[in-house]
Amino acid sequence: MSHILSALVFFPALAGILGFVVDKKSAKAYGIAVAAVEFLLSIWLWISFDGSNAGMQFTEYVPIIAQFGISYNLGVDGISLFIVIMATMITLLGIILLREDTPNMKNMIVSLLFLEMTMVGVFVSLDAIVFYLFWELSLVPMLYIIGAWGGPTRVYAAVKFFLYTFAGSLIMLVGLLAMAYLYNLEAGVWSFNILDWYKLQLTADQQFWLFLAFFAGFAIKVPMFPFHTWLPHAHGQAPTIGSVILAAVLLKMGTYGFVRFSLPILPDASVDFTPFIMVLSLIMVVYTAMVAFAQKDMKQVIAYSSVSHMGIIMIGVFAMNAEGLGGSIFLMLSHGIVSGALFMLVGVIYERRGTKLMSEFGGLAATMPIYATVFGVMLMASVGLPLTIGFVGEFLVLLGFYKVSVIGTIIAGSTIIIGSIYMLALFKKSFFGPVTNEKNFGLKDLDARELTALLPLVAIVVWLGVYPKPVLEPIDNSVKKLLVQMEEHAQFPSTKDAIIISKKEAE
Amino acid sequence: MLEPVNISLAELNLVTLMPMLIAIAGGLIVLTIDLIKENLHKSLYVMLTILILLIDLGATVGLQYNERGFFDVMLIDGVAILSQIIILIASMLFIPLALTSKRFHEYSYPEFFALFMFMIAGFQFMVSSDNLILIFVGLETASLSLYTLIALHNRHNSFEAAVKYFTMGALAAGFYSMGAAILYGISGSLELYQIAEAIQGRMDEAGMMILILGGAGFLLASFAFKLSLFPFHTWAPDVYEGASAPLAGYMSVVPKVAAFVVSMRIFEMFIELGIEWVQVAILVLAVVTMTIANIMALVQEDVKRMLAYSSISHAGFVMAAIALATTKANTGIFLYYGLFMFTNLGAFAMLWVSRHKHRIHHARYDHPYEKFSGMIKIMPIGAVVMALFMLSLAGVPPFSVFWGKIYLMSAAVDAGYVWLAIVMGLNSAIAAYYYLKLIVYMFLKEPTGQVNEATVYYNVSTPLMTILGFAVFVTVGSMFYVDPLLEYITEMIKISGIGFN
Repeated sequence: MSHILSALVFFPALAGILGFVVDKKSAKAYGIAVAAVEFLLSIWLWISFDGSNAGMQFTEYVPIIAQFGISYNLGVDGISLFIVIMATMITLLGIILLREDTPNMKNMIVSLLFLEMTMVGVFVSLDAIVFYLFWELSLVPMLYIIGAWGGPTRVYAAVKFFLYTFAGSLIMLVGLLAMAYLYNLEAGVWSFNILDWYKLQLTADQQFWLFLAFFAGFAIKVPMFPFHTWLPHAHGQAPTIGSVILAAVLLKMGTYGFVRFSLPILPDASVDFTPFIMVLSLIMVVYTAMVAFAQKDMKQVIAYSSVSHMGIIMIGVFAMNAEGLGGSIFLMLSHGIVSGALFMLVGVIYERRGTKLMSEFGGLAATMPIYATVFGVMLMASVGLPLTIGFVGEFLVLLGFYKVSVIGTIIAGSTIIIGSIYMLALFKKSFFGPVTNEKNFGLKDLDARELTALLPLVAIVVWLGVYPKPVLEPIDNSVKKLLVQMEEHAQFPSTKDAIIISKKEAE
Repeated sequence: MLEPVNISLAELNLVTLMPMLIAIAGGLIVLTIDLIKENLHKSLYVMLTILILLIDLGATVGLQYNERGFFDVMLIDGVAILSQIIILIASMLFIPLALTSKRFHEYSYPEFFALFMFMIAGFQFMVSSDNLILIFVGLETASLSLYTLIALHNRHNSFEAAVKYFTMGALAAGFYSMGAAILYGISGSLELYQIAEAIQGRMDEAGMMILILGGAGFLLASFAFKLSLFPFHTWAPDVYEGASAPLAGYMSVVPKVAAFVVSMRIFEMFIELGIEWVQVAILVLAVVTMTIANIMALVQEDVKRMLAYSSISHAGFVMAAIALATTKANTGIFLYYGLFMFTNLGAFAMLWVSRHKHRIHHARYDHPYEKFSGMIKIMPIGAVVMALFMLSLAGVPPFSVFWGKIYLMSAAVDAGYVWLAIVMGLNSAIAAYYYLKLIVYMFLKEPTGQVNEATVYYNVSTPLMTILGFAVFVTVGSMFYVDPLLEYITEMIKISGIGFN
């Protein structure tokens, strides 16, 4: 099937449009069915994916605005493949976890399906304008999900989320237009094809400004310190499903953008900016971890810890070597799964008690043993315990970063300790000890619906923690290709030195 | 004793006048029908108008490129044809909006339709000439008809609007004639190409720069009025508010397209002559206009006023392209307005659908934000349609206005004005807030007391739904036709030879 990517992108949107006709009461079942088909499609993509081919596969090309060089251009490689699969999986499990009595269920399902289209679209676009199109469109359903089903100040949070990211991406758009213009000067034709841009030689000055323009768009999305202030609001107000998708998939758009755009197109500027990004990332890692420790609300703890882990991903991306970059791609997946699961778990307890404050809980392990177990597994994965999914990525990132900066690695590594402090503190306060609050007596443990959503995630956490090879290998191939490309493309010897590729391994 | 001039009919090339003559004849036909039989229903006039405009469009499309005619005052170049096509299509979209389910005073007069067609003829003259007098005549014909059309919406704030617009328009006309007189004084001619030659030749003379400055300055002020650029924009929101909603939407497109074409002819001439301060002045006007109007739009409580400020801001956005004066920027102007036209008319038509005879929502405003709150629950399709228009205006891809936006921003980057592109981007981000505000009201708030199906569907009728459906279709499906459209527009601009390459 040569058009599998188009099918993956537009199937949910089409299903979303048809979903308007489906009866309200059957909306959830419809949503699950569609998301399951989409998930199976993405699994099929994985099966038919050639793991040894590091380049773009399943490419599709249709010109949209020929004379302006905009074309519908899709393709997938080892870097984007698993993010796509994760996105479809998280959407499916998120829909399963939706409560039957969610108000306006049909609107929710339709928005989620549109959101799924944009998420898949962003990760498989090879044309900058098509990428931008899905990137911006993803804001609209998310705005609606936060604004319609969120907490008391949901409208403020939703609008802040929208405007913050919208402003950043408009600057990015100017960068994209400038790229196309420079390409036109060089090659004589207009092109927004990212793969064409990989070949473009730019001066240091041009790269500097373009890097800043891209940075505005991507850093807000990640969100890098100090642009992270929209995220706690969004998480604080979003409904469970909103937080799950936001943390698991939408934030990855930012880091993916750095990997797909900034590094290969602007290798010299990326190397020049590395110290700056590293400092921001280290601040982000340590600072948000500390902020997480100070939170009283369980969801905020997880929100800040998720930001903190995004910092580790950023460190890996800018380590510029196969271990760091590959590790950070893997960490994107594990972060998606783990933080997605943690937000689901917080949602579960919130549904039962109507509060997320840690002080309200205590001794939950006694009343809800299965819940406590699942939470415990996810928590261990989050702090990066060996044999869980979190360990693999974090270890690789730190290994890669060690080659760049030893002190930095020590600082970044310290967050594993801070991370385990606040996570274990959360776990201790909520789950252990005697049951102090009498409202917690007789809380129901996880039911079938919640187990269906959560157990696959637990299985993946353990499976990929023990045996990550099937996923790591395609990632590694594509990452090495990306680094080779970067090194060839780089103009200054200092850049080439900075891009450490274990060439022997590659050969 | 003057020598008698012999001009043959063939030399007059009367075919260049065909489109305007059709519109004028149409107006006269409407008046004649009224003379013969009174009290005919408005639907007859609406359909007649559409048919005449269709013939007009046919005549326009059939014109030869780069022809001059009628004592050489008519100039049919690509720009003239393009802008006439936009004007006619916008008019054809506008006129069926008269067929509302409720009876509105103005449409029962056949004079409305006659005036409407005279106005179109005026705009057509304005865009297809490079003679300063004929441009003036066209401008005044169109404006005087437009003032009357506004006043016909029989409420006291429409009178206020009409008088305000008239006074401002008179001032602008004054500025225009002063500017034209100075240019005539420099060159002894009213034809723009001769003026350009004369200025080119005399540019180095002492004191000449002050004259050019004065001439261009007066003209710029005059067109800043017409295009509602800062600081001459203050009339626009009041006038839009006083006019009926579709007419306000119409005013945000057609008069502006005509004025942009004339500005393109006049100011790009100055820029090509290398008179830099004209470029700087236009850039400053454009940037200030888009920013100020955006900030003003943020604080509006009425959707119609918000849309008025938003269209001022869009005009500022497009004005920047005049300063760039490249083929790409000029293409961008037409692409932008060609796409913006459908979206903006659609948005104003949505206001028209819910227009009530009395102000039941707010003592001061017809369309306060509260009117739309919880619209998704009452009128789901209407809410989705309005949201699509808002997202398109905000420049969210892949909706139509986005393509115009990136094309103009790209033109700015190409011309070396990256800062301008960034300013445009940031302004779009500010603008997103007020469009979003309406979406928030429609989707995320509960309906207020007085809002129910009867009030939001108050004015709806099949023709209105048809026009709205068409506008939505064009807004959403833009991705599929932007390519041929762009190609056509670029071709036409290149034929006209306006702007740097």
